[in-house]
Amino acid sequence: MPSSTSNFKRKLRLPRLFFSTPPEIERVHGGPPLEYERPIPEVPSRGIATVVVLMVIAATCAWEFYCRSIGYGPTLNDGEDLWTSARRRVKPDSIVVIGDSRGWFDLDLDELQKGLGKRPVQLAMGGGCAYPVLADLANDENFHGTIICSVVPRLFVAPPGTPPMERAEKAVRRSHTQTPAQRVSQYLAMPLEEHVAFLKQQELTLDDLVKRLPIPNRPYALVSPRIPPYFGTLDRERRARMIEGCAQPGKLQTTIQQIWLPLFTPPPPPTYIPKEEFAKRMGQAIEQRFHDVAAAVQKLRSRGGKIVFVRLPHSGGLKALEDRETPRAAVWDRVIKDTAAPGIYYEDFPELAGFNCPEWSHLSAGDSVEFSKRLIPHLRAALQM
Amino acid sequence: MLFNSLTFVVFFVVVVTAYWSMRSWNARKNFLVVASYIFYGAWNPPFAALLFSTTAMDFWLGRRIAKAKGRHSRRGWLVGSVCMNLSMLGFFKYGNFLLQNFQWLLARLGIIYQPPHLDILLPVGISFYTFHSLSYTLDIYRGVLKPTKSLRDFILAVSFFPQLVAGPIVRAGDFLPQLVRPPALRAGQFLWGLLLMTLGLFEKIVLADTMLSGSADRIFGYAGPLVARDSWLGVMAFAGQIFFDFAGYSTCAIGAALCLGFHLKDNFRFPYAAIGFSDFWRRWHISLSTFLRDYLYIPLGGNQVRPVRAATNLVIVMFLGGLWHGAAWTFVVWGLLHGSYLVVERVIRVLFENRARTNNLATRLLGGFATYAAVCIAWVFFRASDFTIAARMLGGMFGGHPHGDAILTTREMLQIALVTAGMILVHWSLRDSNIETAVMRLPRWIVTAVWAFMACAIILTQGNSNAFIYFQF
Repeated sequence: MPSSTSNFKRKLRLPRLFFSTPPEIERVHGGPPLEYERPIPEVPSRGIATVVVLMVIAATCAWEFYCRSIGYGPTLNDGEDLWTSARRRVKPDSIVVIGDSRGWFDLDLDELQKGLGKRPVQLAMGGGCAYPVLADLANDENFHGTIICSVVPRLFVAPPGTPPMERAEKAVRRSHTQTPAQRVSQYLAMPLEEHVAFLKQQELTLDDLVKRLPIPNRPYALVSPRIPPYFGTLDRERRARMIEGCAQPGKLQTTIQQIWLPLFTPPPPPTYIPKEEFAKRMGQAIEQRFHDVAAAVQKLRSRGGKIVFVRLPHSGGLKALEDRETPRAAVWDRVIKDTAAPGIYYEDFPELAGFNCPEWSHLSAGDSVEFSKRLIPHLRAALQM
Repeated sequence: MLFNSLTFVVFFVVVVTAYWSMRSWNARKNFLVVASYIFYGAWNPPFAALLFSTTAMDFWLGRRIAKAKGRHSRRGWLVGSVCMNLSMLGFFKYGNFLLQNFQWLLARLGIIYQPPHLDILLPVGISFYTFHSLSYTLDIYRGVLKPTKSLRDFILAVSFFPQLVAGPIVRAGDFLPQLVRPPALRAGQFLWGLLLMTLGLFEKIVLADTMLSGSADRIFGYAGPLVARDSWLGVMAFAGQIFFDFAGYSTCAIGAALCLGFHLKDNFRFPYAAIGFSDFWRRWHISLSTFLRDYLYIPLGGNQVRPVRAATNLVIVMFLGGLWHGAAWTFVVWGLLHGSYLVVERVIRVLFENRARTNNLATRLLGGFATYAAVCIAWVFFRASDFTIAARMLGGMFGGHPHGDAILTTREMLQIALVTAGMILVHWSLRDSNIETAVMRLPRWIVTAVWAFMACAIILTQGNSNAFIYFQF
């Protein structure tokens, strides 16, 4: 190490241009090369880099083992790029599943393929609103296929600017603007995500870990409701399956049940808008959604496309909450009436109504296969197949 | 492709390996040109053709300027280059903005005009590579640079991938000399480049995106009135976010270039330790501020004119600097605010010249604090997407909403406070030094631990990050 600053500066070859203007000849192309050189610290960089690499490998492996030990397993992340790769598979006459996470977990693509003759493309997304995807397909002049649309009322009528809408809009936007670099990143990321358990973009990121620090909040702070922890896996076709740890009674199951309740409870109106005004605006936004959905369905049908709305099973306290906050008549009946499209409400059919959702919102992987099998005749009838 | 993407990691490993395994310097340069165009085309391949055409035009115009005999002729070719570059920038970046303002102006005159909305896709990094290229013809005109005979070298100078899309604005005169002979890697240069890339990614992914951006977005996106504390914290979060975002990109670019044997100058030098606004602009986005100084402020007369004219020139330069950042009046106000700050500072300097008490520690700290606060106030206009949001934010910051909402969580407040305090502490402790000096002074185990910590934190974010803010410029 240098003993004095002056000696040290000389060794470092500090950037000359910062301190004095170089002679003109040095600024002319063809003059001495490297008129400016960055200082390079004289440290044993090889030794340091070797230790850093070893430390990073050790820390990463330790974190991976820890995540696996507490129940995490490898799965693909449901990002916009994975959604875009599925959207790209949509052909003009495809069968497409859209909507929310129930359409994602509860419908088995193998069974639907057996029953409907084509393998559906899975475009439903966790916590997403169906409308932006419906509108995108309706506006796609090439598409004249069939849409199976899962309806969770609160997500289906989510107004613009809310997370369910933004999530779906972001995915649709990405499908139109995805760059070659983003596409390559997705292909590179998939093999990693399929083998590394800690790669969970919404749960085990640094951001989420920091958010979960137990720091008491001051009153009135706007705290986003917690998102459920890892309870399902996703494959390259975006087929979601509930993990066994969640399908069986236990801590994970009850934790998720308790997370759904605040997540499905309407947030209080903002303080800066009078309650009546806020309720009026929400009412207008919902009316607009019904109108937009009807227009999109009409557009799709004008090209020979078909759509069927499905209400998929939910149970326990979440069902009670949904039935209270978004009763069937308020959203489901209105959608069916305005679009004049066929609808399948699981409670209307005994063979569909008997399923229990372990964490109140989705079917287990096994039940989703059986449920899809039983749903096929209803889908065929609704779609006049 | 983004530095913070998996594609870039693979791209960089392939490029560095292939580059250093080639023996011929010409082959290496050819390879870098291809790699840079792949890097750029990975966003939108057709725009690579636009990049090539403007580069080729400036190469040709540079030769014309050098060959021209008379002053008028030289000036004519230069005007051609400036017009070509600025009109391209104007069309892609300011087309809709100009149309909207033209419509507004006609409406004031009672003429109803509905302009067509131009569905223009902004080529990424256009503001940067236009300036890279423009610096070449401007320097040839000024007589400080001879035109290069190699189109390939000039293409590489403009499109060199580390600095192509978000700076630093590397002048052709700084880069072309480095293409004369093959660079020799000095001991530790490659690994120092990797450490700088790690530091840059840490600043961007961890500090800007993970620790600060969420709070800044929440505060600026909140539609209601906010109390002073939340408003200030939101602005401070953005002040930190934009520094770490842009300085992080620049540091990555410098590190990537070093790994390939090239030397790019610093673009930031601890700006939040600036005392005064001229000091701030010597430390913030140095490549832009020196570009504006050399090619705009000095040709306008610089300091060699009467004080009122010099002040006007400053405001004009900062007005254009604001507009360079984005096609919106909020950016213009941001630039004008900085212009007026610089003018006020000059007045203060004249008033307090030769007063001994202005140079003591307390005054310097007070000056630094006042500079930071004023810069934060200006950031409001930079971040707010319209004047309604800016007015609401300023209202909150200056106590206009004592009964407004307090929406930040305690964790967010702690994050902003800790990161901002750490940032300002580092800036002040290194304000007259540099990162290399600091690294040499630190014990090796601390350098090792910090490097490993940064790498682990980057891995923990899982690439769950946003695009760099300056890409949109």
